[in-house]
Amino acid sequence: MNERKWKQLVAAVRNEPAPVPSPEFETTVLRAIRREAPVARPGTLSLFDQLNGWFPRLAWAAVAVIALSLATDWGLTAAGVPGLGDGMTQISAQWLLIPNGF
Amino acid sequence: MIDDAEWLERIRNGAPDDFAEVIRRHQSRVFAILHRYERDAHKVEDLAQETFVKAWRALGQFDGRAPFEHWLSRIAVRVALDHLRKEKRRQNEIGLPELGEDALDWLRSDDEKSALDGRAAAEILELALRELSPADRVVITMQEIEGRSVKEICAAIGASGVAVRVRAVRARAKLKRALEKLVKL
Repeated sequence: MNERKWKQLVAAVRNEPAPVPSPEFETTVLRAIRREAPVARPGTLSLFDQLNGWFPRLAWAAVAVIALSLATDWGLTAAGVPGLGDGMTQISAQWLLIPNGF
Repeated sequence: MIDDAEWLERIRNGAPDDFAEVIRRHQSRVFAILHRYERDAHKVEDLAQETFVKAWRALGQFDGRAPFEHWLSRIAVRVALDHLRKEKRRQNEIGLPELGEDALDWLRSDDEKSALDGRAAAEILELALRELSPADRVVITMQEIEGRSVKEICAAIGASGVAVRVRAVRARAKLKRALEKLVKL
């Protein structure tokens, strides 16, 4: 297709009228939005919005805490000190699974 | 006359019915944008409804730095893009529609004065554009048909200027090939 035909095609498409909204369009939209939650004002953020804003930093902080805990456990085990797992086992044995308990 | 900013403030202050005025002011533009991507009038109306509902949900994020009309247009383009993605999957299953006689005559004619009406032109372009990916289609439609700037396209589809330019060049070449294919039909 040559340039002239392309321009003719584009001009014809531009001139094609768009459909007109039906008379009940506005009412249908309003009915749909009445089922929605009220509009939040800019600056008034919900708890979820705030958590969402913190998301990347919170996720990295959680990863750092997990990594630190694992490194500490591994370090303690290597040094012969009872690790976190051993500690938990001891606590369970002493406090939770007492011989005459339930 | 009350401007958009004032209407939006009233809506945020608890007068959701005032959104009707926002719909009245902008519905023609939203329909015009969506009509570039969907030819069925009923579907255009559904997409326009989706656009206004999404705008309503996101109204709290509108900070007034850009005109409301631009912000709403971006939502309409994104609704159209999602729609094209869904349609693309469906079209792969049902195949392509056929062109009408007027469109075929015009495509085959070498006569410079051969007339082309809007409906036939849209049929041809629609069929050729189906060869493009939804994002390519949005870029080429905004640039070639609507005459929008690269900056406006970037804002609408959330891509960088370089990405939009590259996509536009690639899409234009693909569209040209698709139109050549139609001429040979």
